[in-house]
Amino acid sequence: MKCCIALLAVSLAALGQTLDCSLVPGWTQQGASRSYTGDNLFEYMDGNAEGYLVYGFVAMQGVNCESGGETIVFDVSEMADAESAYGMFTATRDPHGPLERIGMGGQIVPRRAIFAKGKYFVEIGISKDAPDVLRAFCRAFEAKVSGATEPPQTLAWFPREKLAPETVRLVPESVLGLRLLKRGYIAQYDYGKAFIVAETSPETAAEVMRKLRARVGETAPVKIADEAFEATDRYLGRLCFFRKGRYIAGFAGLAEGQPALPPSTALAARLP
Amino acid sequence: MNSSRRSFLAAGLALPAAGLATTPSSSHSGSDQPAPALAPAGLSYQKLGRTGLTPTRVAFGCMITSDGSVIEKAADLGINYFDTARGYQGGNNERMVGAALKARRKQVYISSKSHAKDKAGALEHIDTTLQTLGTDYIDIWYLHGKNSGEDITDDLLEAQAIAKKDGKVRFAGVSTHKGQASVIDAAIKSGKIDVVLVAYNFSMGSDLDAAIGRAKAAGLGIVAMKVMAGGFRRPQPGDKTQETLKRDGAMVAALKWVLKNPQVDTTIPSMTDMEQLDADFKAMSSKFGEGDQKILSAHLERIGPLYCRMCGHCEGTCSQGLPVADVLRFLTYADGYGQFALGRERFLELPAKVASVRCRDCSSCSVDCPHGVRVPERLSRAQELFA
Repeated sequence: MKCCIALLAVSLAALGQTLDCSLVPGWTQQGASRSYTGDNLFEYMDGNAEGYLVYGFVAMQGVNCESGGETIVFDVSEMADAESAYGMFTATRDPHGPLERIGMGGQIVPRRAIFAKGKYFVEIGISKDAPDVLRAFCRAFEAKVSGATEPPQTLAWFPREKLAPETVRLVPESVLGLRLLKRGYIAQYDYGKAFIVAETSPETAAEVMRKLRARVGETAPVKIADEAFEATDRYLGRLCFFRKGRYIAGFAGLAEGQPALPPSTALAARLP
Repeated sequence: MNSSRRSFLAAGLALPAAGLATTPSSSHSGSDQPAPALAPAGLSYQKLGRTGLTPTRVAFGCMITSDGSVIEKAADLGINYFDTARGYQGGNNERMVGAALKARRKQVYISSKSHAKDKAGALEHIDTTLQTLGTDYIDIWYLHGKNSGEDITDDLLEAQAIAKKDGKVRFAGVSTHKGQASVIDAAIKSGKIDVVLVAYNFSMGSDLDAAIGRAKAAGLGIVAMKVMAGGFRRPQPGDKTQETLKRDGAMVAALKWVLKNPQVDTTIPSMTDMEQLDADFKAMSSKFGEGDQKILSAHLERIGPLYCRMCGHCEGTCSQGLPVADVLRFLTYADGYGQFALGRERFLELPAKVASVRCRDCSSCSVDCPHGVRVPERLSRAQELFA
């Protein structure tokens, strides 16, 4: 444990050194830098800390930068892994705003920029509309941190047809509001909501399927992958869940008249 | 630092909403008790101070909810108050809450919060909030996360007054996580705040009770958040604590602990799934008992630097002559091991002069624990419990 704490401290110290306002010429640090862990993030986040903790927040480093009377708030959160960092990004991006190719994914709106690269989730805010300044900081900092630059591969498993743009996101716990589906991805389609959850093994996935059947109640078996069923739930609507190896996936909230089998079969075909 | 953060968050994702918010219809000025969709048994309500609103005592904190179906089910069960904030997930949380409650707007109360630091920012926020939630009014609009009375500025109060006058919000509130007593007193003094949203849980003992009592007496509504003490969601990935706590009932016990205080009008525990919703819902109709106390006491021992390690560092440092380590140990008998009788017996064996000391009578504490045990708080609890 002491070893882990020491490693964490080293990791954060290294990150702190790269949080440098002079990454963009003309900007200087204002005040001291700041750092938080999961134990005291609430002191900084004014009630929003739990939203970070659910995504495997480990620690945060931040600085304020100043230039010509304008201030930038520059925070970098270290998450448990790249998937969690990307998950944090998908949870906080504006679904109506354009995305930018920064790290695994990024977004810049007039006064705010966010992106994820590797296990780092970066947030930069500025006191006036200045997307170019934000972009310059993002690019400069992106070059300084190492880590994954491609989104998690799960995203590619969702069929593109009728997929609402940029709606795939990581749900850190209780996918579809079901505790049995611990963590996974969901995606919004024109006709319903798809999900993919990875279990540790085909056996544990089969056990989860068994419990799901029991929870949903009346189910009708269908032929997709290793096992599958259709059902109707008061809150999840018409649904089709299937298991392929260690993956549990399917659709919920299917629109009236939308058959469950074709999209579910298409999704199953893309899973490994 | 915090205002920088708030300013930063305020900058993000604001969408133009000019002309969007309209004067609300009479739909929210009539009945003050929305009817639950399914009207099940087990609901309890309490009037939220002078607002006249009557939320269920267990309401719904939406901050980390990721699927609207849980919110829909909660509304169907009869839970009638849902809380979100402009800053949650960059506004995405308001979007999800609005979509989930769209068909039920007249049956529920909705609150949101603004972390803006000035009037202009706050008024921009309320318009964006209404647009994102898809409603023309919210029931309570909190100034978000104020840490001292000075944070409740005239500028922000004016923003709330304007929003009320325009029919965009029904009642003004303030939320606080730190410096809570100061914020509560400032809210009372302002005469313009209707509701206070406070962090309140079993790990705090009776620390906040006096301030809550003053607010209650002044007619303010009391909403409790952080009712699970935060310790249920550990920052380390793979930590099994949360699962364990869900299994052993600690989360429900924590909620019941808050509900046993009649000064608290309602609570807004965070809920992420149907199972948690069902459990929290049941807490409304079951009383806090000995079993709950044991669970919480054991959990207290795990979550914080509350318990004495008997290092002896504090020996002789109390200006009132209290044997600090001994009293903390007596408290551990009761809180940690459920041995209340033993703890009290030992406490009453103390010399009368020592047993009559009340830590709250000291303006500052001379005892400094190197392990971070909150000595005055713990000793006060022991005195309250045993004396």
